[in-house]
Amino acid sequence: MNIVRGAAPVRAAPLQAAPITKRVRATALVPWLYLAPTLLLLGVFTYWPLLQTAYLSLIDWNLNPSQPAEFVGLENYGRVTGSTLFQAALLNTLIYIGASIPLKVLLPIPVAVFLWSMGQRGHLYRAILFMPTLISFVVVGIAFLWILNPIFGYAKVIFAELGLRFPNLLADPDAAIWVIIGISTWKVLGFNVLIYLAGLASINKEFIEAMRMDGAGDVTIFRRLIWPLLTPTLTFVAISTIIFTMQQVFTPIDLMTEGGPSNSTTNLFYMIYQYSFVTFDVGGGAAGTMILFGFLMIMAFVQFRVLDRRAQYQQ
Amino acid sequence: MLSFSLKSATLGAGLAVAASLGAMSQAAADTEITFYHYQSGGNYEALRAILDEFEAQNEDVDVKDIYAQSQQITAEVQAALAAGRPVDVATVIGKNIVYFLNNTDAVDLVEASQGDTAWLDGYLPNFLDLGRDGDAVYAIPHAYGTPMMYYNKDIFTQAGLDPETPPTTWAEFLDTGKTITEKTGKPGGAHLHASMGDYGTMVMVTNAGATYLNSDGTEAQFDSPEGIAALQNWQDMAKNGMMPIATDRDWSGAFMGGQMGMYITSSAALRAAVAASEDKFELGVGNYPLFGDAPRRVNNSGAALMLYSKDAEKQAASMALLRFISQKEIANRWSRASGYMPVIQDPLSDPAMQEYVDAFPFVTPVIEQMSQTVPTNVWPAKGTLEAQTEVRAMLDELWAAKRPASEIVPEAVAKVNAALAANK
Repeated sequence: MNIVRGAAPVRAAPLQAAPITKRVRATALVPWLYLAPTLLLLGVFTYWPLLQTAYLSLIDWNLNPSQPAEFVGLENYGRVTGSTLFQAALLNTLIYIGASIPLKVLLPIPVAVFLWSMGQRGHLYRAILFMPTLISFVVVGIAFLWILNPIFGYAKVIFAELGLRFPNLLADPDAAIWVIIGISTWKVLGFNVLIYLAGLASINKEFIEAMRMDGAGDVTIFRRLIWPLLTPTLTFVAISTIIFTMQQVFTPIDLMTEGGPSNSTTNLFYMIYQYSFVTFDVGGGAAGTMILFGFLMIMAFVQFRVLDRRAQYQQ
Repeated sequence: MLSFSLKSATLGAGLAVAASLGAMSQAAADTEITFYHYQSGGNYEALRAILDEFEAQNEDVDVKDIYAQSQQITAEVQAALAAGRPVDVATVIGKNIVYFLNNTDAVDLVEASQGDTAWLDGYLPNFLDLGRDGDAVYAIPHAYGTPMMYYNKDIFTQAGLDPETPPTTWAEFLDTGKTITEKTGKPGGAHLHASMGDYGTMVMVTNAGATYLNSDGTEAQFDSPEGIAALQNWQDMAKNGMMPIATDRDWSGAFMGGQMGMYITSSAALRAAVAASEDKFELGVGNYPLFGDAPRRVNNSGAALMLYSKDAEKQAASMALLRFISQKEIANRWSRASGYMPVIQDPLSDPAMQEYVDAFPFVTPVIEQMSQTVPTNVWPAKGTLEAQTEVRAMLDELWAAKRPASEIVPEAVAKVNAALAANK
């Protein structure tokens, strides 16, 4: 036994070294194999188009394979950023984002807490609030166009019955953007409430009972327990809402105002669409896209730095 | 028995496959050409019937029609060309034609005709101007429209106006609209502005005798006295209360619903207006109003056909198709079925067309305006979006009526020209 025991390692060592190395190598490859489909899809559909867009933003070309592309450096960027359209689109984008924080990120919190506190009885309200999320934005846009129609809209008719005059909101440069923001908020509120409810569901209710026994009121419980434990959800909602809010408003802008009146409702997304697919200005569209990409990167970075640090991930 | 059935079935399937392979090889011998278009519903059926007739007369040619919405057709063709997908005949929106001339490899129809250009002579020369570049012709009219006046005779009667005497000038249009609003409380009338406010502005100033854009589309020139007067007219429509500030869709909906006195929009809406008015109100139509003493000049709307075939066989087949649909009888039939303007000279010399006009007199203004049509102005590639945005913003400011057109228009033209400067 001893001989066998003693001899085995001496002879086995060189024989086993190769399979172990191979196994280690194979094991090291496994994560990459799991990642491969995602990396492939990201590479083909995200990063390659991003690089291609960056290239298009630096050249004067119309995508015609038989015509040569001319390198123009930052000319497309200068042309886009110098236009009043871009300035209006950037300002409006900031307004859409600024308005989305109180309306789409913060407003759903008290609603969600209220529904959460109702327990089983809150399910009906949950369904009612979530309903607008299920309706297509095209349908919502057309419905609101009918409501707000300045000639025969329902709002006008109802106000007239009351002896009042309904303002032509979509023709007013100061009001039109708030119509879009209002519709967008109505549409997304229920979805964000649902996400907050999911966050609230993970809070151990025994903590609340314990705080109550110690004499804490509702405000204290919210401030000291619910709010901190909801911050990871808040971070997710804030980042996703701010990034997606610009895309969400695209449909109502296109359907209801086409960016007007006087560019008061356009945003960077809609501007890029117009450059690329309305006037076929490929360079302008690509430059606008890269500017938007940089803008979103900065927004996401700032949010992670500000919000993620304050998030409480442990109960 | 089972074995026999199985053998029979196998033999049958084999024969069927062999037959289909034979059919495929026959089909493969045919020349297939693509035809990009935006026709749907009844218009598509009419177009397809014409293409089928062409195929019946040219058995070795298959025409594959490819549909995209009218707002998307230009992008669809552009994408197909960029991706190298086969494009033989493409429908291109009028305002994009110069862009396509400058940025794609369209085929000169004169050169492709190889000396036999008689087929082009049938078209009204002013209709070919849009696609003309020197002696070359790159586009032929196919789905053209013209702006015309629609009015509601019942509302005219309610307002105490003669329903058989619609306004013929802009001054009358404004007076009539104001009277309608005052007497009935309904909007008196409106004039389409179309996407980005461009087409409506172009038509209004061109008809007043102004130049909208210079010939190469690099400089706006509608800040002339005629242009300012025309746009002051549009501001007056908003100021006197006859025109609620709204979108084309709102105005169209109001008119079709019998809630607006007059609406100036494309003849492409004629069929829809006739259908909408049935059992609801009596529809009247008229020519585009004259501006003072200026002769009527209205820009065409709609689209033309361009040729892209490079392969000799496909180009020959595509040319045969273009020649086929350019025949007076075919072109007039397409016009009758679709509601688009006739595009061949002297359409009423065709008895079928005369019969159609007699039975459907609503189309009379369209026929009358054929000779008064001028090519739609086209924008260059760079700065177009910024320029069109300025035009749209100008309209918004005009309708807000806080300053007169004489102050707003020159500023807008300066901004448009600054945006277009990149093309010089």
